[in-house]
Amino acid sequence: MLSIPAHRHTLDNGLRVVLSRDSAAPVVAVNLWYGVGSRNERTGRTGFAHLFEHMMFQGSAHVPKNQHFELIERAGGSLNGSTWFDRTNYFETVPAHHLELALWLEADRMGWLLPAMTQEKLDNQRDVVKNEKKWRYDNQPYGDWDERLQALVFPEGHPYHHSVIGSMEDLDAADLDDVAQFFRTYYVPNNAVLTVCGDFEEDHALTLIDRLFGEIPAGDPLPPILGDWDIPLRIGTTVRERVEAKVPLPRVYMAGRVPPYTSDAFYPAYVASALLGTGRASRLYSSLVREKKIAKDIVTYTFPLVTGTSIFLLWATGYPGTEPAALEQALVTELQAVDGVRQEEVDRAIALIETSFVKDIEQVGERADLLSMYETFFGEPERINTEIERLREVTLDDLRDFAGHHLGEDNRAILTYVPGGGQ
Amino acid sequence: MSVASHGFDRATVPLPGEIRQFDFPQVRSFDLDTGLSVRVARMPGLPVVSASLILEAGETGVPADRAGLAVLTGDALQAGTARRSGAELAEALERVGVGLAAATGWDATTVSLGCLSERLVDAVELMAEVVGEASFEKEEFTRIRQQRLATIQQRLMDPRRLADDAAAHFIFADGVAYSRSAGGTRASIGGVEREQAAEYAASHYRPAGAGLVVAGDVDPDAVARLAGPLLAHRGGEGVARPALVVEPRSRERAVHLLHRPGAVQSEIRIGHVGVARSSDDFFALSVLNTVLGGAFTSRLNLNLRERNGFTYGVRSSFGFRRHPGPFRVATAVATEVTADAVREAMSELDGIVRDGPTDAEVQAARDYIVGVFPLRLETTGQVASRIADLIVHRFPDDYYATYRDRVAAVTTADATDAGRRAIRPEEMAVVVVGDADALRRPLEALELGPVQVHDPEVLLG
Repeated sequence: MLSIPAHRHTLDNGLRVVLSRDSAAPVVAVNLWYGVGSRNERTGRTGFAHLFEHMMFQGSAHVPKNQHFELIERAGGSLNGSTWFDRTNYFETVPAHHLELALWLEADRMGWLLPAMTQEKLDNQRDVVKNEKKWRYDNQPYGDWDERLQALVFPEGHPYHHSVIGSMEDLDAADLDDVAQFFRTYYVPNNAVLTVCGDFEEDHALTLIDRLFGEIPAGDPLPPILGDWDIPLRIGTTVRERVEAKVPLPRVYMAGRVPPYTSDAFYPAYVASALLGTGRASRLYSSLVREKKIAKDIVTYTFPLVTGTSIFLLWATGYPGTEPAALEQALVTELQAVDGVRQEEVDRAIALIETSFVKDIEQVGERADLLSMYETFFGEPERINTEIERLREVTLDDLRDFAGHHLGEDNRAILTYVPGGGQ
Repeated sequence: MSVASHGFDRATVPLPGEIRQFDFPQVRSFDLDTGLSVRVARMPGLPVVSASLILEAGETGVPADRAGLAVLTGDALQAGTARRSGAELAEALERVGVGLAAATGWDATTVSLGCLSERLVDAVELMAEVVGEASFEKEEFTRIRQQRLATIQQRLMDPRRLADDAAAHFIFADGVAYSRSAGGTRASIGGVEREQAAEYAASHYRPAGAGLVVAGDVDPDAVARLAGPLLAHRGGEGVARPALVVEPRSRERAVHLLHRPGAVQSEIRIGHVGVARSSDDFFALSVLNTVLGGAFTSRLNLNLRERNGFTYGVRSSFGFRRHPGPFRVATAVATEVTADAVREAMSELDGIVRDGPTDAEVQAARDYIVGVFPLRLETTGQVASRIADLIVHRFPDDYYATYRDRVAAVTTADATDAGRRAIRPEEMAVVVVGDADALRRPLEALELGPVQVHDPEVLLG
């Protein structure tokens, strides 16, 4: 149904470029994915990929501190970046006539970041990141759930064992040499995808990209991913953690390993997650929230991770008097029942996914981000047009197989929060 | 290596290309016999549509002892209809990929949906059924009320929400609706029965004064036909817009410390009564606030984050509502730098009032607001939401045609004067949610006014 254009080019230095023109509105998105994330952090430097992302906004050889933000905001643009397990992205959406500005800023920090790095900037952003950790994790009810859950699902030494925000002690240990080394290793054109999406002329954009990025030298081949990432696609048992914390309501998280996004076996996980938890007619909502009334809300996710394995997770928040054991039992009952799913439930889940997918890509920034993702993970940006079809191809047998292999008690991490205790 | 070999100077900021015209999407207006206003923005492109029904059912008009009734009634629309149970309703919507939700604010209840264009007929028919024939079925209603009560309990232990609610409490006088949390309290919601919600819906969900906004790949005339039956059985008069006299709790600056023992971070809100959306100062204040704290490169963020590393981020904002909402600075900082951060924020507030923004800052702020305008009108949902604002605030249909010109016309003197009228640092309520044992003395040492310590549960529970 979708027919979003996606034209690929590769510069001599290895930079992969995706161009996707749509002149519906006079805006253009520039989006860069670097194939580096928290999975690439070495022992003793957890959280560094994210701290490094902050340093990318601190100016480069031809861009003074704060100028990156100032120039884009002054142009009427929006911008940000984010760090995740497998990648780090940077993005601007600007009025169409400012395309060159956004490309110039991205090229400058890809090619000439290090001359602008100072200890003062590093110390400042380390403080900012520490506040981010306090804000997102330490001072929020349930704020540390992902840290705890990752450690339960992935063994020590696995690149997904630690959280993206990482350890503050590790951040304290980081210095400018780490910044330089990380930059030279990972922030190289041959480890990046640049997508331009929106109102622009392709020839003009290619000329600009070639001029601005073409002379940035290719880096060395990427080092192998650190740690033991080739692990079984099941935990092998049920692991548990119980946390007494200052939380208002009991909550039970459950998670397990699933095949990576780059495997066809991932799609049943995605569909299963949606039929369990997307919408008010989903199985968990119908059962736990509407019928049994033991949960006030439920959430399910399947993350699109690519390093050997991925993660399927869900949670249910109870009412003040809910027994966590009852919540857990109700979740388990529904996981066990997935093998009896009916086609109309699958159709319902896919209809909701389809609507939200198409609504997401209304924004050129979101569309550019997806194109970068499909190019980074699959070398196939046009996959944006067929992703929904891949979900439709999932059969009831596929779902039964998935449930049999991944939703059983031999692949279950259970994290329970109960009100009480100190922090 | 600042001059590259390709004959261009990498050290020079590129000049913009030729500016491309942007117009707000064409809007067709229909005023139906039922009294319902229909606005349709045709946006060809992706096959999606967003629709919003704006109902004259804001929380502002709800009496204090029923605070949260409008919000709860909106929530309870999912309890089912005369024709379908809650479960059947969810099934009917989701089978055709329709996401439908009610959001209740101070000025209105907005029932919104998003779907593929080909599903619009089904979607609008279901929307009509939901708002016109809601059953508020007892068991489902009771469950939804329990969910709302649990949400209220969650707010009390979430420092961000606690700070928001405490700021509202200390900014507005008792009796002013804006002083409460829009969702109400355990006391005001706990006793609400289905009959009261049903009565509220029957009296407030009426076509006269309401508006249906549809944006997307649709035929405007077809939408007008679809909208005919919407709430038609509830004819007659519309709902009177509630009057509200907004008074501050105090004009004396004071520091209110909500004690969370052991908190590692402090949530800070600093503010007072702001201005209404209809104010003549709206554009000048939008520019001024962009300079102060509305963007990343605003004064507050450059100081507290980029210079001092106190915070992950800080913003200031005017809550532009039908009546004067709050003006607030909001941030979160580590416990040990809390007083420093409050001092720096106050110093930025004092500075912008005393000296005004510079010409360069005003120019940059105008450029930002003008430039970002089309970026925020990319999606059908964004366009529908902008048009919905016209209905809520009774602005003319061509309001957005001159929006950017009015921003561009703001001078430094306009921004300075508007700032002096709207921001009064000596009247601010300074609200801090954090560890009072560690914070009390440093905050007292700032000599901003009396420092009062509160138990969150006693204050807002």
